[in-house]
Amino acid sequence: MAAGSLSTGWEAHRGRAFALGLAPALVVLAVTTLVPAIYLIVTSLTPLNPVNPGTAFDFSRPWGNYVSALTDARFLHSLWVQAQLSVVTVMMQLLVGLGLALLLDLPSRLIGALRTGFLLPMVLPPIVVAVIWKVLFTPDVSPLHHTLAAIGLPVHSLITSGGTALWAIAFADSWEWFPFTMLMLLAALQMVPREPIEAATIDGAGSLQMFWYVRLPYIRQALVVTAIFRLIDSIKAFPLIYILTDGGPARATEVTNYFAFVQTFNFSYWGYGSAIATLMVAGALILSLVVSRLGTDHGVVEH
Amino acid sequence: MIRRIGRRELIGGGAAAASLLVLPGKAPAQGGAKPLAGVNLNVSCWSAAYPKYLADYIPEFEKQTGAKVTYDTPSFPVYNQRMDVELSTGGSTYDVINVTFIYSGRWIGAGWVTPLDDFIKNPKKTPADWGGDDFLEGVAGQLRDKQGRLCGIPWIADIFMAGTTHNEIVQKLGGMPDTLDGLEAMLKKAGKMPEMAGFIAENHYGWTFISFLMSYGGMVFRNPPDDLTPVLDTPEAIAAADYYGNLLRTYGPDGVLSYVYDQVVQMLKQGKALYSTNNQMFLVQMAGKDSKVAETCGFSMFPAGPKGRRPQVATHGWGIPAGSKQKDAAWEFIKWAMSKQMTERMFKEKNYSSVARRSVIEGPDFKKALTLNGFDVGKMYVDTIELAGKGYMKYRTVPVYPQVDREIDAAIQAIVSQQKSAKEAMQTAQANSLEQLKRAGVKL
Repeated sequence: MAAGSLSTGWEAHRGRAFALGLAPALVVLAVTTLVPAIYLIVTSLTPLNPVNPGTAFDFSRPWGNYVSALTDARFLHSLWVQAQLSVVTVMMQLLVGLGLALLLDLPSRLIGALRTGFLLPMVLPPIVVAVIWKVLFTPDVSPLHHTLAAIGLPVHSLITSGGTALWAIAFADSWEWFPFTMLMLLAALQMVPREPIEAATIDGAGSLQMFWYVRLPYIRQALVVTAIFRLIDSIKAFPLIYILTDGGPARATEVTNYFAFVQTFNFSYWGYGSAIATLMVAGALILSLVVSRLGTDHGVVEH
Repeated sequence: MIRRIGRRELIGGGAAAASLLVLPGKAPAQGGAKPLAGVNLNVSCWSAAYPKYLADYIPEFEKQTGAKVTYDTPSFPVYNQRMDVELSTGGSTYDVINVTFIYSGRWIGAGWVTPLDDFIKNPKKTPADWGGDDFLEGVAGQLRDKQGRLCGIPWIADIFMAGTTHNEIVQKLGGMPDTLDGLEAMLKKAGKMPEMAGFIAENHYGWTFISFLMSYGGMVFRNPPDDLTPVLDTPEAIAAADYYGNLLRTYGPDGVLSYVYDQVVQMLKQGKALYSTNNQMFLVQMAGKDSKVAETCGFSMFPAGPKGRRPQVATHGWGIPAGSKQKDAAWEFIKWAMSKQMTERMFKEKNYSSVARRSVIEGPDFKKALTLNGFDVGKMYVDTIELAGKGYMKYRTVPVYPQVDREIDAAIQAIVSQQKSAKEAMQTAQANSLEQLKRAGVKL
């Protein structure tokens, strides 16, 4: 009994020591992440507009911004644009990344070099990527447009048509980020044990069967994690839209993030912009939970 | 000694004047005493070419007066947000500020900026030959309060006009069009031209479309600044939007909606578009040394529409915040920066041509420098500014204009990309503008 108390006392003492040691880091973390987040939420409860400083402390209609958002056709439209962009880019990046990862999952120096080359888009600064695509999508100076015209397949500007602008953004975004999904999935593929592959080979499994029944179950978790990462990132889409379309034409590419930017920094509706940002954070959290649940409900095949 | 400059050099510098500058005159030292010794002046302006040029001369002012100048030039949006808060709270941090054009209605109307007439008209503070009435009323008038008092001294005037890269082609088609109908007829006659679009404009339609809108008899607001009810869905506004959308869609280059101003300037300098309506500071770059069309470009005033000619004019001016505790010293700075001598020096030494002093504009040097391929751009400049003196630019000094500006952008994009008809697009712009103004707390 006495030994138990002694042990408990020591444990408590150790716990306090750990807490004390962690405290500075936790304080820094709180100051740099939690405080701004809390301020964002507080601001979202006011009609803050820097033009009218008094609005910073006006809590008379705390839900006013949220009510406005839910009845604002432009906000709702931006959600729809965002949903299309997110679904398409995440799917494209997963498919291209997975395809390339499967091709690159071979021991070869040439493939190693290719692997490095494929990483290039991801390591470029986003604004540089946007400028590259601005050139490629501007018919007057674009080698892409010139080449297509030269072979008798002229294409009109993709970023100024309401029907193609969003898909042009999605294509450029996928080009930028497929290396990320490729790397994640390649790492997962290289962790797949050799035994089941050899066994399936002996059993005469074809390539598709090998992928579907052997490799895919092993990389399912990696796929889910990668999808979540990309999904969250897709909600933050900004440089490509800012440079290529400015949210146009006629708001065809105005995603929620961009809508919040315009409201906050072009119109000075800081309170409203904060409410939009808060809704986006909430949406990203919910989406992440849903996607991760989808990935774990089926579980990984036990071997 | 100040050397004379040629018109090409002027244009080259005018390119840089894609903003502006002002060169201060040499203020006389008074009896060896330094009248502002010990004074620290806080001066702020948004970052443009003009304030950057001015920075080169501020040491002269400091040396002559003994004042120390703390000079700050943040980016345009940062400057405006910072100054709006500063002025609205009656702050005394700044002594000399830029009265931003798009905020002038709010800042001057609310009494946040000091009227300058008492300084200009007081012979003890300003010598008679300083020339307070030398500034073109078309721009100065935009910086007056309701009592007609001048609240800012304009350091820039930029006008909307028209230009062609190939006057020899335009002449064969009947010459520079004087009307919007004539413009369309000319472009139709020109037809498809190899490697050259008929028309090009910057994709900031909240600026580039307004001259068309007003020349068709349309307005942005019913009666700014007193009645800010948007009137974007009137028959005149819809007709103007239809005309302009058709101009861009039919005669613009592929992807015209993506052209920002520097792309437009490059297109023009390379002769890849025949005709453009644009800011003077951009169009005159066609006559610059690095332009392929320097010898063939031509210019005219903005063409007249069915209801007249309404080219846009923009200005910015130096002012003194109401909260400044050093107003006399602040005026000394403005008086120095905007003196005739400094304006002349800015024009001659920095090639800055967007000046607002009539005596400089009407001088032989200015006329010579701005006579380009036989076109008297200087006269177009003065005539346009005088037109704007009629008061139709008031809409742009309304603080909520940025919201409406973006709605106009979206409307023109929708028309050009054929997502909506002109009527639908302008009705949407009207409805959205009303919503935006309501959110901004504007009583309609």
